[in-house]
Amino acid sequence: MRAGLSRFARNRLALLGAALLLCLLLTVILAPVAFPGDPFRLAGRPLQPPDASFPLGTDTLGRDVAAEVAYGARTSLVIGIGATLGAILFGVVIGGLAGFYRGTVEVVLMRLTEFFQTIPAFILAILIVAILSPSVTNEVIAIALVSWPAIARLVRGEFVALGGREFVLACAGLGAGDARIIFRHLLPNCLSQIIAVGSLLIGTSILIEAGLSFLGLGDPNVMSWGLVISAGRAVLRSAWWICTFPGIAILLTVLAINLAGDGLNEALNPRLRDR
Amino acid sequence: MRLIRYIGYRLLLAVPVILGIVVLNFFLIHLAPGDAASVLAGETGAATPEYMAQLRHKFGLDQPLSAQFLHYLLNMAHLDLGYSFRNDSPVAALIFDRLWPTALLMVTAFVIALALGILLGLIAATGRNTWRDGVISLVSLVAYATPGFWLGLMMIVVFAIRLEWLPTSGFDTVGAYNEGWAEVADVARHLVMPAVALALFYLALYARLMRATVLEQAGMDYVTTARAKGQTERKVMTGHVMKNALLPIVTMAGIQAGNLIGGSIVVETVFGWPGIGTLAFDALQSRDLNLLLGIFFISACLVVVINLVVDLVYVTLDPRIEI
Amino acid sequence: MNSIKMSRRTALSLPFGLAAMHGARAADTPRRGGTMVMIVHPEPSTLAHYAVSAGNIPPIATQIYEGLVTYDWDLNPQPNLAKSWQIAPDGKTITFKLQENVTFHNGKPFTSADVQFSFMEVLKKYHPTAPVILSEVYAVETPDPLTAVLRLNNPAPYIMKALAGRDLPIVCKAVFEGTDILNNPTANKPIGTGPFKFGQWDRGQAIRLDRNPNYWKPGLPYLDRIVARFIPDAATRSAAMETGEAHFAAYSAVNYADLARMKKNPILGETSKGYEMTPAISVLELNSKHPHLDKKEVRQAIAYAIDRKFIVDNVMYGYGVPATGPLSRKFAKAGFYTTDVRKFDVPDRLDIANKLLDSAGAPRGEGGVRFGLHLEVNSFGEQWLRQAEYLKQALAQIGIDVTLRSEDTATWLRRVYTNYDYDINEPFLSQGVDPVIGLNRQYLSSQIRKGVTFVNDSFYSNPEVDNLLLSAMREPDHDKRAAMYVKVQQILTEDCPLVWLVDVEYVSIYNKKLHDHTTGPLGTQQAFERTWMEA
Repeated sequence: MRAGLSRFARNRLALLGAALLLCLLLTVILAPVAFPGDPFRLAGRPLQPPDASFPLGTDTLGRDVAAEVAYGARTSLVIGIGATLGAILFGVVIGGLAGFYRGTVEVVLMRLTEFFQTIPAFILAILIVAILSPSVTNEVIAIALVSWPAIARLVRGEFVALGGREFVLACAGLGAGDARIIFRHLLPNCLSQIIAVGSLLIGTSILIEAGLSFLGLGDPNVMSWGLVISAGRAVLRSAWWICTFPGIAILLTVLAINLAGDGLNEALNPRLRDR
Repeated sequence: MRLIRYIGYRLLLAVPVILGIVVLNFFLIHLAPGDAASVLAGETGAATPEYMAQLRHKFGLDQPLSAQFLHYLLNMAHLDLGYSFRNDSPVAALIFDRLWPTALLMVTAFVIALALGILLGLIAATGRNTWRDGVISLVSLVAYATPGFWLGLMMIVVFAIRLEWLPTSGFDTVGAYNEGWAEVADVARHLVMPAVALALFYLALYARLMRATVLEQAGMDYVTTARAKGQTERKVMTGHVMKNALLPIVTMAGIQAGNLIGGSIVVETVFGWPGIGTLAFDALQSRDLNLLLGIFFISACLVVVINLVVDLVYVTLDPRIEI
Repeated sequence: MNSIKMSRRTALSLPFGLAAMHGARAADTPRRGGTMVMIVHPEPSTLAHYAVSAGNIPPIATQIYEGLVTYDWDLNPQPNLAKSWQIAPDGKTITFKLQENVTFHNGKPFTSADVQFSFMEVLKKYHPTAPVILSEVYAVETPDPLTAVLRLNNPAPYIMKALAGRDLPIVCKAVFEGTDILNNPTANKPIGTGPFKFGQWDRGQAIRLDRNPNYWKPGLPYLDRIVARFIPDAATRSAAMETGEAHFAAYSAVNYADLARMKKNPILGETSKGYEMTPAISVLELNSKHPHLDKKEVRQAIAYAIDRKFIVDNVMYGYGVPATGPLSRKFAKAGFYTTDVRKFDVPDRLDIANKLLDSAGAPRGEGGVRFGLHLEVNSFGEQWLRQAEYLKQALAQIGIDVTLRSEDTATWLRRVYTNYDYDINEPFLSQGVDPVIGLNRQYLSSQIRKGVTFVNDSFYSNPEVDNLLLSAMREPDHDKRAAMYVKVQQILTEDCPLVWLVDVEYVSIYNKKLHDHTTGPLGTQQAFERTWMEA
């Protein structure tokens, strides 16, 4: 792990990503200090271009775009991380069970996984949000539900591959219980892979959330970047700043997550090590 | 002969899978609250209760769910996707109308993404840790991180409105009714922006994957052996590394197949491309359940077929894999 | 109303005054030929104009299906398929003399039998709103092929306002007779008598209409083709107008936010004419079953709390005026509209609102909040979410904590009109050609009808209003009728079952190459028979 960290530290792009992420975290923490009050508050004259009092301008209702972007960071991160954790939890359970027990369990679970993969993911996400009604929690559920199959396939593949390895066979021979084998031996061995794929999934989840909001399926009570863009889209050409800044925020965030994720991947993934 | 038997076997296996998908989809979709009659009445502004009862009767919505399900299964048994009452048209006709533009858009985007992605990935891998690698990695990550709708909007502003190089939207010039090559050229001009907006996302994926697998392969023993045998670096790359590096790319393309239909909703919306994605979105919004089920069914069939094709490509790329 | 007769010559000469108004710059003689591309948004799901009345169908369908009359700028009926008409003094018989030598696109001649069939067998049975307009009509008699006589149980003065192709289209009896009307194969290949014939429908892209060479008005129409184009994205729709790819966009097809920029574009013009018969206001419906909203004072306080001018300026981009009450100001011409009602847009409105809430027994609690309400966001477009976001801020000022709920159309309508599971709803109500259409639906206690959209879902029930509305419906004397509607408006603004927000202003954007596109009060919802394009 330590060797991995130092490897990560030597990767300049990964460090850039980590630095950007740090800025993002600071934004999330400092948002209530820098912009006290509700980001939905009508702060000034509508459609003001960026100037000294409103560094990122105001939107169609006169809300401060800077405050919107700052508060939106939290929503995007919550949804990105929440959906990813959900997807990992679900994917690990399904994929793990399938890969460990094989046989009928595997057939049934992998068919279920395939089922989810045959429905176009984005349409499924829209359908789930429509069924559950748009809110942050339901967006997290919807994105997690369309994202888990990739994790499940990965975990199953790893479990199957590791299951035949000598050390697992030896453990089983020594009478170790299923739970012990899974939690002590199998999971830790594919943890780095899960972390690497999961970190990329955060970025994808943020993009899906933005897409949902763009189509008008976001939570209207919570400020998010997707919401700001979909609201500013109508005036894109007369008030470029409303769409542009949250768009850049999404771009930088996803970029940062992917850079850091790549770094993690290279640092932790045993197959890429020592080349 | 063995190949044909294998394909037949795989298709046979797919039948229960697709059947299961049809059943699950049916009940999943019926979880959505509200119905087509209320949407239609809502758009109408006002409607008498008799009118709404009439609509529900016409749509078969006054039947219990079990009866609707039986009816649907019976239709499916005859390979009949049913009728879209909202659109006053058979579902199959609606879908096939839209399948061609979607296929055109997705295939074009895929080809651009694959070709450029493989090329860029290879350049990055061969120059690992040089500035070339860094630039390509960064650029592909930026492309990957850019929201498609945002990019699309920006492209329209720049290329259609400011520079007037390309048309803003649509499939061809409306009202022109071109024929032959003029039509081909016209469609091609309309295709450029949506295809590029869509391709950039996938391009990033393939470039990254290509780079990673080439590096992985380059460390393998057989490459060292080949080098030791004195083969040129070029020959090592094209003859050995490339061929094996393509396998994960093919796998990835197979996984993306499921997104063939849904992946382009947002881009289709921005560019007014008359594809399946927007059709599915409209169908969901208006609770045109027959149409939505039909689209999900076609999507499932496509995934099954594409997975089969992927497996067959595997066999030709890697003789070690047996069918 | 007495008989109105007018020669065809005067009828035909009317719109030319308008041509001069629009652009004397261009050539003044109409040119034959050309393809007009108009943007229609969203794409209609069907062209069954006789059975579905969604607002995106008429711009296409009225090119194909015509009505008995059209209307002049003063909203008086003018001859169309009916050459003349006579209303009996008791108001219970209306006799139409029909235009001769009219044929449908399938070659069948147009006769009184088609009028009888359209009204009694199609519209009265299958149309969503026509049954209300035709409710008093019990028979259409056809003494000869060119005479149709409407027989009414009671006088129905509003019928004369609803005879255009938009509201009561005439279909071909031969096509529909003996078939299942709702599943007729011509639903999406319509056959009418109009200046344009249905050509082709490329789903997701466009509908093409071709010139009807056998149109009964000699020399018309001028255009060879009309193409209705569908573009889902608002920014892209604007771009299509600006690049000249499309020539005409009506209603909300072009985003209000883009209009300021379009006005500066030398190839484009704008007009707010052509919407005189399309009154509509945006409102808030308040569920009076809610423990706070059942009090008149609370409802009035909400009405006071809202700055309608802010909504007009920042949500509608200036295209509208603050609504003063339940009727659109477009009814002023007919004498029905009044401003002599309780006024909510007053300088000290927030003080009034807070006092009303205090007196209604809803004191401020923790954090200044009196109570919380849910607001259901209208799903028919982005601007309704903006409006809801503003309303949340506005009501926070008087201590009402609003939570927004933004669901898709089907879920939203189900929640509000079937489950009644809502506190505040923000619909947009079109009011029809006569007050009877918009007011009866919304405020009659008999219109509390579970499962029916856009009716009385606020559970408003006032016997006096019921009585006035029903009497006004059958009152043949115009002045008496107007007085009743004035009284209704005064009672309603006092009771405040709804909060009236914006009296909507529509605008059409056109390419200056296009002439005579807006020739009457129905705008795009009537035929473009006289429209022509510069080469």
